[in-house]
Amino acid sequence: MPSDLISAYLADLRRRLPAGITEEIADGLATGCEHRRALGQGEDEAARATIAEFGDARSLAAEFTRHAPGRRAARFLLASGPAVGACWGAALIAARAWTWSVPPAARLAFGAVLLLAVMCLAGAATSQHSYRRTRLAGPGGIALIAADMAMITAVLTVAPAVTWVLTIAITASLTRIGLAARLAPRVLAL
Amino acid sequence: MKAEAQLLKGHLDTLLLATLDAGPLHGYAVMEALRQAGGSRLDLPTGTIYPALRRLESAGLLDGNWSVVGGRKRRTYSLTAAGRRKLSGDRAAWREFATTVTSILEATPCPAT
Repeated sequence: MPSDLISAYLADLRRRLPAGITEEIADGLATGCEHRRALGQGEDEAARATIAEFGDARSLAAEFTRHAPGRRAARFLLASGPAVGACWGAALIAARAWTWSVPPAARLAFGAVLLLAVMCLAGAATSQHSYRRTRLAGPGGIALIAADMAMITAVLTVAPAVTWVLTIAITASLTRIGLAARLAPRVLAL
Repeated sequence: MKAEAQLLKGHLDTLLLATLDAGPLHGYAVMEALRQAGGSRLDLPTGTIYPALRRLESAGLLDGNWSVVGGRKRRTYSLTAAGRRKLSGDRAAWREFATTVTSILEATPCPAT
């Protein structure tokens, strides 16, 4: 039976961290208390010392957040933005993409998906204390894959010819899709 | 944090891998093993060890498994093949570095000419 101090500490952690991590910490706290009780400390004294050993809930949650797979994946995918964007920018200008027949609704939908991807990834990448926010990397990655696939499909459907500049941009997007798909299981698992 | 502990924190990943080289351990046991091996010089906060174990697991260097011990869920970590390779490389690099630094620090000064 955990002491009230341990229960309150775990309740605070549960608000900040996923259940799996909290359960692992709960076992560590219980083990720490047992060690101290075996050395003759009282229940509250053992609980206080063990909590002090783990650090306050906010700092512990921040440390987990700093190492969260979603945060690192989001930073990686965001960092790919300028390079892939530059490839597409050069390719679309060279191909005079403004002359293509693309419905305004499709352009708008593409812009919305891309904006959603950037917002989700930026939210996950900049999270300092909220582990939950790092999970935005999941929908952000999916939106980015959707935007890349939409771009490739649009070019292959609408462009009069696939030039070498367009081929480079398509390759850049395919590479990013592969990386995002590879990162997805880690992000969604934790 | 003591200066030595700060220095050791820079090698936290290697220390964790080395601690798990002997066999699977849960988070608190890893911390206890580090304390016993490092004595008072190694006073790493527990709050840095658990997230680091998760990070190493996410990097594929550790394998984490749940079990039930005494009615409590417990996560135990063990080295993966990639973790063993990393540890082996880190050990070789550390030995080379230590040998180089020791040879410089303990070199007999050349007589002045």
